[in-house]
Amino acid sequence: MITAERKPLAEIKAMIAPYSKILLAGCGTCVAECASGGEKEVSLLASQLRMDARMEGREIEIKEITLDRQCVYEFIDQLTSLIDQYDVVLSLGCGAGVQAVAEVFQKVIVLPGLNTTFIGETKEAGIWFENCRACGDCKLGLFAAVCPITRCAKGLLNGPCGGSKGEHCEVDVDTPCAWQLIVTRLEERGRLDFLEQVHPPVDWSKSQGKGPRKILREDQKN
Amino acid sequence: MDREAARITIFFCQQVDSEQETNRRAIERELGDRIRFFPLPCSGRIDTLQLLRAIEAGADIVYLVTCSRGACRYREGNIRAWKRSAYARRLIEEIGLEGERLEVIQANERQTIDEITRSLLTRDIHVGPSPLRAK
Repeated sequence: MITAERKPLAEIKAMIAPYSKILLAGCGTCVAECASGGEKEVSLLASQLRMDARMEGREIEIKEITLDRQCVYEFIDQLTSLIDQYDVVLSLGCGAGVQAVAEVFQKVIVLPGLNTTFIGETKEAGIWFENCRACGDCKLGLFAAVCPITRCAKGLLNGPCGGSKGEHCEVDVDTPCAWQLIVTRLEERGRLDFLEQVHPPVDWSKSQGKGPRKILREDQKN
Repeated sequence: MDREAARITIFFCQQVDSEQETNRRAIERELGDRIRFFPLPCSGRIDTLQLLRAIEAGADIVYLVTCSRGACRYREGNIRAWKRSAYARRLIEEIGLEGERLEVIQANERQTIDEITRSLLTRDIHVGPSPLRAK
């Protein structure tokens, strides 16, 4: 899941200041799960912006809509019949959603209401953890499904560093040491032999070394 | 502001008062549209958006009446209510409204909703009329 957090209201207000008719578009997938850009968050922000405008004596019109997925054309198309009636789209989608909407409606101003943060898991209600850097070369099979690139503050493939205290990271005492988890899990699974492997430096060309990545699947194309 | 003029919205847990239907109607008849009640099956049913909408609709003060700590029939509904109310306060403060406009009230055992309300109505109100109602 892609996680995000709502931008401070002052930043959002500054972005939308020149406009009075706003199409506030949420996304019902990842950012709804992390409670930053789903239907409910769209309504909360719309309510705040309406109240703020009334208190300042400004006219504002906000249309609320939440797309099932803001990064897929078939869902973005729901905006087609509405978009001409508004000055601007304020997106509560992740960065991919904002860019996808702007790509479809090239003459429309699309503004981000969220700061896209990381790929992560819902640990429990109200807590999200980063656990994937989308490096393009997944090695979780070697590390008992604990990503050392993401979850070790030092990104060590040949760990541990030896600095952990009480099974927690020396960089952040609230974070469990990824290598402690890796060793414990490998031991539980009878695969401590994995620790004998020496890993070469990561090939970052599979990450963002060559600019934005692209996946092409002929069988999926129209 | 003058407490006689304040427009008050009260969300409350129905478990607080089994006779709430009768008891709140008496006050509603007395105060008319100065007061609005929203019974909830449990205060944990409250949503941040409902609190915000009540403020947006022009309430000067919004109270959320919960069972006392440890007395929630559903164990932690009142704790969740408190957290959502705290978040709603942050949201209204972000637009420059006073957080005091939203308050959680823990009911004492054996207090009825009309008794609780009458006690709230005698309180001093330290905020002015809602700027959302005035404009």
